Amino acid sequence: MTGTVFDIKEFALFDGPGIRTTVFLKGCPLRCAWCHNPEGLAPGPEPMVGAGGTRLVGTVMDAVALAERLNRQAAVLRQGEGGVTFSGGEPLLQAAFVEEVLRRLVGIHTALDTCGYGDSAAFERLAGRCDLVLYDLKLMDAEAHRRYTGVDNRLILRNLELLGNSGRPCVVRVPLVPGVTDTPDNLGAVAEAARCVRGLVRVELMAYNRAAGGKYAACNRTFQPAWDEAREENPRTELFASLGVPVMVL
Amino acid sequence: MTLDGRLSCLRERVRGREHAVARVGRVPEVLSECESEGLSWGWRVARLFVRQCEAEVPVIRPDERIAFERTVPSVAAIYGEADRRRLFSGRRAHELGPISNICADWGRVLGEGLLGRRAAALASRSRLAGDDTALGFLDQAVCCIDALLALVGRYAEAAEREGRADLAGMLRQVPAHPPRGFAEALQALRILHASVWLCGHYHVGLGRFDQYMMPYLRRDLDAGTLTEAEAEDWLAEFFISLNRDTDLYPGVQQGDNGQSLMLGGVTRDGADAVNLLTRMVLKVARRVSMIDPKINLRVHGETPLELLELAAQLTRMGLGFPQYSNDEVVIPALLAHGYRPEDARDYTVAACWEYIIPGRGMEVVNIGAVSFPAAADRAIRAGLEQGDGMGGILERVRAEIRSQVEARVREYRTLLLPPAPWYSVLMTDCLERGRDLSQGATYNNFGLHGACGSNAADALAAVQLRVFEEERVPAAMLLAALAHDWRGYENIRETMASGPKVGNDDPAADGMLCFLFDAFADACEAAGDNGRGGRVRPGTGSAMYYIWLAQGHEGMGEPSVGATADGRREGDFFSSSLAPSPGAAVRGPLSILQSFAKLDYGRICNGGPITLELSDAVFRNAEAVRKVAMLVRTFARLGCQQLQLNTLNAERLRDAKAHPEEHRNLIVRVWGWSGYFCELAPEYQDHIIARQMHRV
Repeated sequence: MTGTVFDIKEFALFDGPGIRTTVFLKGCPLRCAWCHNPEGLAPGPEPMVGAGGTRLVGTVMDAVALAERLNRQAAVLRQGEGGVTFSGGEPLLQAAFVEEVLRRLVGIHTALDTCGYGDSAAFERLAGRCDLVLYDLKLMDAEAHRRYTGVDNRLILRNLELLGNSGRPCVVRVPLVPGVTDTPDNLGAVAEAARCVRGLVRVELMAYNRAAGGKYAACNRTFQPAWDEAREENPRTELFASLGVPVMVL
Repeated sequence: MTLDGRLSCLRERVRGREHAVARVGRVPEVLSECESEGLSWGWRVARLFVRQCEAEVPVIRPDERIAFERTVPSVAAIYGEADRRRLFSGRRAHELGPISNICADWGRVLGEGLLGRRAAALASRSRLAGDDTALGFLDQAVCCIDALLALVGRYAEAAEREGRADLAGMLRQVPAHPPRGFAEALQALRILHASVWLCGHYHVGLGRFDQYMMPYLRRDLDAGTLTEAEAEDWLAEFFISLNRDTDLYPGVQQGDNGQSLMLGGVTRDGADAVNLLTRMVLKVARRVSMIDPKINLRVHGETPLELLELAAQLTRMGLGFPQYSNDEVVIPALLAHGYRPEDARDYTVAACWEYIIPGRGMEVVNIGAVSFPAAADRAIRAGLEQGDGMGGILERVRAEIRSQVEARVREYRTLLLPPAPWYSVLMTDCLERGRDLSQGATYNNFGLHGACGSNAADALAAVQLRVFEEERVPAAMLLAALAHDWRGYENIRETMASGPKVGNDDPAADGMLCFLFDAFADACEAAGDNGRGGRVRPGTGSAMYYIWLAQGHEGMGEPSVGATADGRREGDFFSSSLAPSPGAAVRGPLSILQSFAKLDYGRICNGGPITLELSDAVFRNAEAVRKVAMLVRTFARLGCQQLQLNTLNAERLRDAKAHPEEHRNLIVRVWGWSGYFCELAPEYQDHIIARQMHRV
């Protein structure tokens, strides 16, 4: 079985506990206006045209080969109290492939970093195979979610509920976009939702990536932020603290 | 955690080189009296030291608590050019000539005081009556001791004149007598250490600072005469003082001055040596944030994360230190090379990374380099021309390495070290044995850098894969492409450049790297005695050879090369110490460590760090700092030998090149030392900007 991967990043320090290797799966059902990995949106390999020439982004990898490569690092990853994280793009779009890789990993802590927008059965299967789920929540308001990500958030909230009820260890992650996701209403609602997640380890508020627009031109896309990028984002950690929800700004 | 007002002023003043303005001392004229009195070489060096001490003008600054700075801007000549040439006729001088790049036995000198050392010299004098060489040397040594004490006496008088009873009191005690506490120990060390440069020595190491200074700190803390916070301020002031004269110190570039110190590890008996001062140095170096001293930390697989986190906090500052050495690998390697167990446990680094024993090593750890790229390239070109298979090419590589080692050792068997009566006073047992340091110490080995191995291994692995296994690139075409520096052969270049790379935990490329270092170790073993009762130690460092071997350098004996089969164009830099080839697509820090963990470090003990560049964005929070600490622990547990972690911000470097005036204090690691980015030559700046950086 094969899947399409657009990067494998070693020494990932912000994708779960310890020193991790993160596998970025190509293709995403969302179109978040702040996405900083635009080359991960389309499902297939595509050319990226940069100053140093053109390169093909996205490698079709065999599940066995990928698992073998990751297993070779198992001992080193354990030394760093870390493991492997599957991110993207959106791993749920290649659920069968990811599951096949997960099945073959031996002695490695695993994390699934997902936007939650995917088939619930597939989500539960993958989540069940991982030691930790990093669950992205962007906007709690349905209309705003549609406007900024292109999709409805009902499926995302339903999967979050499934996850919450399962009691599986979970980190809820929110990208802080100034004036968009960092509003009191939104972060307050995130805090409320996170509080109901039984296995919640903590909420991670991700600092806005001011280099987000950097790669758009190279993959022939346009970055059009409808917010003031110069504005400092406001993590409003007190909203979480007041509900007793552990929170951390990354 | 920053410096208080006074210390911060001191720091700015030293950084602004205000001390240079006060250099009112005049370089003494020594040559004519040496000539007229017909002095021997040893006596000339002693006379030089006496006159340089006399020429120094004491400077007492109202807000400084640790005195001594150079006011004489250079060191006088003791031989005319013709006589110097005659002295070295048929012999080899190492670099500038005078002994450099070793480490004194600071603990002993502090503990006995110079008067104690003087008594030792006199005791040897009566014991060795009749041995004229010994007596001459011991008289020179005493003469040097007296000269330094006279200079310190003048400093004490000046302090009294300025109403500085505190300073005068210290200077009446040290370095003549043993220090009574931490402050006096720092003052003594400052004078002794800086004085070594007065007779032409350079790259003077500071050794195991936390070991030999701890007794003095302990005494003060136990007696209640210093609090820890006060001790930290004294330490900060000492560190700042090490930056006063650095513009006078010779080196390849500004900052390359060998003021390296070692922390942690084990005692000579093998007990854990980490102490309060180990941690204090890591903390204070962060507060001071200057290029000197350069910090090294000895670690092992079970070093507490808390200590590694403290070290990672220092890495975060971007100063390019600490550099880490793995006791579990270094000590056995030294044992395998003939070092006694208690000495092996006592190791420190010379100026950069080379392992030496303080007080007991008269080793020349950087006699030159073996150019792996040249060895591989000559073997590839000759082998392909002659129709060799891969096995034949590798045999040629082996022969090339051997002939390079032989050539370097042949040159250095004729090494002539000038007498060093003053440095001898500071070593463990030169006075006791009545023998000048230049005549040898307990350890007299040479060290050779095995330079730029990644490029060479990549070239060999690319030939093996593309020419022989896949048969994608015909031998004749590769030869033509190399001869034309790839011009007109861009496809071939890309095919060769996309071969296996060191740094990806790739068995093909890593296997070639291991082969190169094995052949190198074999050649060093075969070289036998180095002419000084020592042997030749192979190492993994490159120093400036990543540039010199690629672009040539005046007077360099090592062979340079043109285009190489890894797809590198003529003139492009090579890898620095243990790092992937510049521009190679590598997976990241873990794979790099896995690649370099395959080397047999038991055979290559001259040192030379795995070098990783981290983006400063790595250090976003305390968790991330802890993860950097775990990376260091992983390095140790994988059985690697030495690690250099650098923190870089590429945008800031580019801006600093364009607007140096706005980045005067930007510090970067160059190779075994750190420097101010804006004081580096452009080719070194470019290499740093182009380094592989690991982001998160």
